[in-house]
Amino acid sequence: MQVKKTTLAEAASLVSDGDVVALQNMATQAAPMAMVRELIRQQRRELGLVCLVGGIALDWLAAAGCMNRFTGNAVSMEQFGLAQHYRHAVEDGRICMEELSETALLARLGAGARNLPFLPTRGMIGTDLIDINENLTMLEDPFGGPPVVACRALVPDVALIHCHRADRHGNVQYEPTALWPDVGIMPKAARRVIVTTEQIVDSDVLRANPDRTVLPGFMVDAVVEVPWGAHPTSFNPLYGYDAALHLAWVAAAGSDNDVAAFLESYVYGPDDHEAYLAAVGGAERMAALARWEAG
Amino acid sequence: MGTPAYLDSPPAGDWTVDELMIAVLASCFSDGDQACNGMASFLPVAAFQLAKLTHAPDLVWLAGAVGLEPRPGPIPASTLEAPLWRDALMYVEQYGDFWTLALNGRWLQKFCVGAAQLDRFGNANNSVIGGDFHAPKVRLPGTAGLADMGSLDKRLYYWNPNHNPRSLVAKVDFVSCAGYLGGGDERERLGLSGGPELVVTNLCVLDFEPDSKHMRLRSVHPDVTLEQVLEATGFEPVLPPGDVPTTPEPTAEQVRLIREVIDPHGMRHREFRRR
Repeated sequence: MQVKKTTLAEAASLVSDGDVVALQNMATQAAPMAMVRELIRQQRRELGLVCLVGGIALDWLAAAGCMNRFTGNAVSMEQFGLAQHYRHAVEDGRICMEELSETALLARLGAGARNLPFLPTRGMIGTDLIDINENLTMLEDPFGGPPVVACRALVPDVALIHCHRADRHGNVQYEPTALWPDVGIMPKAARRVIVTTEQIVDSDVLRANPDRTVLPGFMVDAVVEVPWGAHPTSFNPLYGYDAALHLAWVAAAGSDNDVAAFLESYVYGPDDHEAYLAAVGGAERMAALARWEAG
Repeated sequence: MGTPAYLDSPPAGDWTVDELMIAVLASCFSDGDQACNGMASFLPVAAFQLAKLTHAPDLVWLAGAVGLEPRPGPIPASTLEAPLWRDALMYVEQYGDFWTLALNGRWLQKFCVGAAQLDRFGNANNSVIGGDFHAPKVRLPGTAGLADMGSLDKRLYYWNPNHNPRSLVAKVDFVSCAGYLGGGDERERLGLSGGPELVVTNLCVLDFEPDSKHMRLRSVHPDVTLEQVLEATGFEPVLPPGDVPTTPEPTAEQVRLIREVIDPHGMRHREFRRR
């Protein structure tokens, strides 16, 4: 089997300016944040993001000027409120949002994964979401039932996911946890897949529990070991979200200077992931998050 | 078995409106129903747990639309994160499991909806306020699962802890969750069954007039006047004939369960805008 193990900097070179990037993320959960920070440091531009519910990752990408379009269900940091930079960029017309219902996004990605032109859903009928979106159209049921909504296939250029463990060939395992659809379908729809993982292990470790393997290595282009790689989002069951860092970001949002200082401290400044972890509180802070105490 | 304690329990006396809203929402869910919740949904989560602890022990709860029948501790700061679904019987995967169950129609027939705007025909908006969709005055979080639930023959239960003329409007700026659309039989003509059933706010309870599908005042909470409700509503709701009924107070036992067992950290108060 091919060896896919690499570094964050090398893996990020698989993402080009203008790419459509599918990002694992559910509000405050499970985003591949180390890879997101690397893309910001490398100053990627005009990215299109795809998320179920985008959180702080989207707000950082928006604040750093890395993205100009988004396809997904919602953008929210839940208890930490709206993603203000993302929101204002949409209001100013700097980011174009394609807003889809959950079944519509799953249909678009499912069609992309299976090389179908579209998949239908019964969601959204009667709403204003259909007419404004060229990727959606009402379709007569060829078998005589009520009409459905056809959702055009979506094939992201690259999918970014974060997992609990993988081997150096890119075979991916998750611990028992919520498997959001961004794990089940996003990487299968995308042309390239970049995996960050809490731990790279010997393949024999995966063989002990093959039922935990959710993605085969042949689909994966790069795998990078990044412990605490989802911080400041949570990664169940290993660690909770970092409420303090979310709140610090929210507090900075009102002032350009504060935003620049925040990004310098936590995104541009630290030379590598280890330096980032030191900047956000080091081993002591991570231990508290592992006890889910800081949320 | 015997009579459940809450039925024998007198009115609480010192209840607050969050507890009353939870008790009203709880009364909408019965044994045999399946309920699920999304983000920042403290009142529905408390209501499902209250129903399970009182009149509906066989109500099935999919916490965060992920964890089947968890054994939750006190309601945590997030209604989507793992602490809410601890000790679940099953993790329901959204792509393979959750939306299959929800789309099927046999399951998850009731859904609680919270949204920034709700109009007189029960259409909801969590997308944009003012301006053009692509250059809105205010970009809201987005529809997420609401645009599905509104069109999937579900019975919808709205909760709104901040009843004012901007949240209860004559017509939503954008329909991101289908209610009765333009009213009358418009929803039916699109082939959609189900629809909005009830609206529970911090001032009153509303339902929908069966023919026009226009929102109708059902009861006003104790210590709230009809004038206050009308002033806070961006349209004229249909009024019931005669005196407007008063919403029943929660019982002492319901209030005790909410305060001591379900939500001792008071997360439910986060839904109410500070005055």
